Amino acid sequence: MPALKATGLDALHPVLPNISSWRQYKAILRKDIAQELRTREMVTSMGLYGMLVLVIYYIALSQTGLDFDVTRIAAGLLLLMIVFTSMLGLNRSMIHEHDQGQLEALLLAPIDRPIIFLAKATTNLLFLLIVQIVVVPVFYIMYVSGSLPVQLGEIVPGPWWMIALGLTIGSIGVAGVGTLLATISVNSKGRDFILAVLFIPVMYPLLLVLVAALNAVIGGAVGFESVFWMNIAGAAIYNAVVIAAAFVLYDFILGV
Amino acid sequence: MAEYVHNNNQAEAASDTPAIIARGVSRSFGPRKAVDDVSFELPEKAFLSIFGPNGAGKTTLLKVLSTLLPITGKGSASVAGFDVKTQADELRRRLGIISHNPLLYPDLSAEENLRFFADLYCIPNPEERIDELFEAVELKHRRYDVVRGFSRGMTQRMSIARALLPKPEVLFLDEPYSGLDPHASEILDSLIANIRGNHTFVMVSHDLDKGLELASHALILSRGQIVLYDKTDNIEKEAFRGLYRKVVGLGVS
Repeated sequence: MPALKATGLDALHPVLPNISSWRQYKAILRKDIAQELRTREMVTSMGLYGMLVLVIYYIALSQTGLDFDVTRIAAGLLLLMIVFTSMLGLNRSMIHEHDQGQLEALLLAPIDRPIIFLAKATTNLLFLLIVQIVVVPVFYIMYVSGSLPVQLGEIVPGPWWMIALGLTIGSIGVAGVGTLLATISVNSKGRDFILAVLFIPVMYPLLLVLVAALNAVIGGAVGFESVFWMNIAGAAIYNAVVIAAAFVLYDFILGV
Repeated sequence: MAEYVHNNNQAEAASDTPAIIARGVSRSFGPRKAVDDVSFELPEKAFLSIFGPNGAGKTTLLKVLSTLLPITGKGSASVAGFDVKTQADELRRRLGIISHNPLLYPDLSAEENLRFFADLYCIPNPEERIDELFEAVELKHRRYDVVRGFSRGMTQRMSIARALLPKPEVLFLDEPYSGLDPHASEILDSLIANIRGNHTFVMVSHDLDKGLELASHALILSRGQIVLYDKTDNIEKEAFRGLYRKVVGLGVS
């Protein structure tokens, strides 16, 4: 390799470059998106799983009889589907960083650990929202707008954008908590089990307010707007607290 | 084993500024001490080869020195003049690691991998640097191919390019020759020879011949403790081999 010296490969940096957290954040984002576009592992598996959950709902509800009003439990069903599909994808997001020691390479770089958290949580949120754009309309058609022969109540649901807003705020919490817990569990033997066991209890307060918010919109009863906004505010506070805690604790969780 | 004392003073004398200082470094996993009270100083631009049986604590020591694992207890260490506990970010900017694990993203192309790490280290003019490295590791023709399709040798060459991206002052090599074909070994030899003058190297190896050939300093670890540390000039090769065989025979239990 005679050309090596000529390339200046052996020369050290005279001045070390400035570190830009924004550049590092964008790099992780771009890398995760490029990886997903190539493998389609997370979005495809979450999307398929979401559709399968809808089929299972349909089978289960087909036995409830005509006097059962599906819209009364639609918000709960919707969130259940989102929680289950999220757990599947969130696990994959950190396994990508683990298979060949990539997380070590990431940790060896001069990057603030919370930037890694923010970037991973952002890509997880993006993938969750993409899956929801596909799966939620199908759910809406089946269980809210009444295109399929399950019994629906005599109600007019609130505007769809309120449902979309509720789901987006919920997804922010799911992505934040999920990224944190996936990081905790990735180095453990029972990582699928650990994520599932920790995820639901930590998410419990968020799920509670989101069900209340979405139930109010889907039910469309008088004054549903105030119930919706009150619960959405609760969800936003939960997200702020959990994401701030994750931001502070991420260093400790990574152990370096 | 009396003649093989921990001859730190002799080794230190080779240079004024140490690139690596370890003082009472320990690392435990539960009750097991993987690294136990390790102290040594390595001069700048030296090449240290670390030998020892499996489980002796070689990789753990590298991980502690590279900030990937915290020190257990009171010990301290610095690399390139920066403390591993309190100045980790500054240290990381000056450190490159080549391991038997490629630390690459197999679903990304070679170019995407290097681009990603160039952004993590905020390297100015990344294209220029990436071109330079592809030429150096002879992978220019595969730069747009996905790493998953690379042979072991090519992956390791990519790993070398990744480690050299930020022009590190200190390079840690964790069994870098393991699984390499002769051509890839030759490229690694050549790369080390070409950059040796400006960098401090620490290499973990099971290959005594290769390790001693490259090293200016040698260290044998057993059960997390230093059995021998000295300049290779002061080491009598056959006696060293005998000691190494004895240490490997002791195992780790």
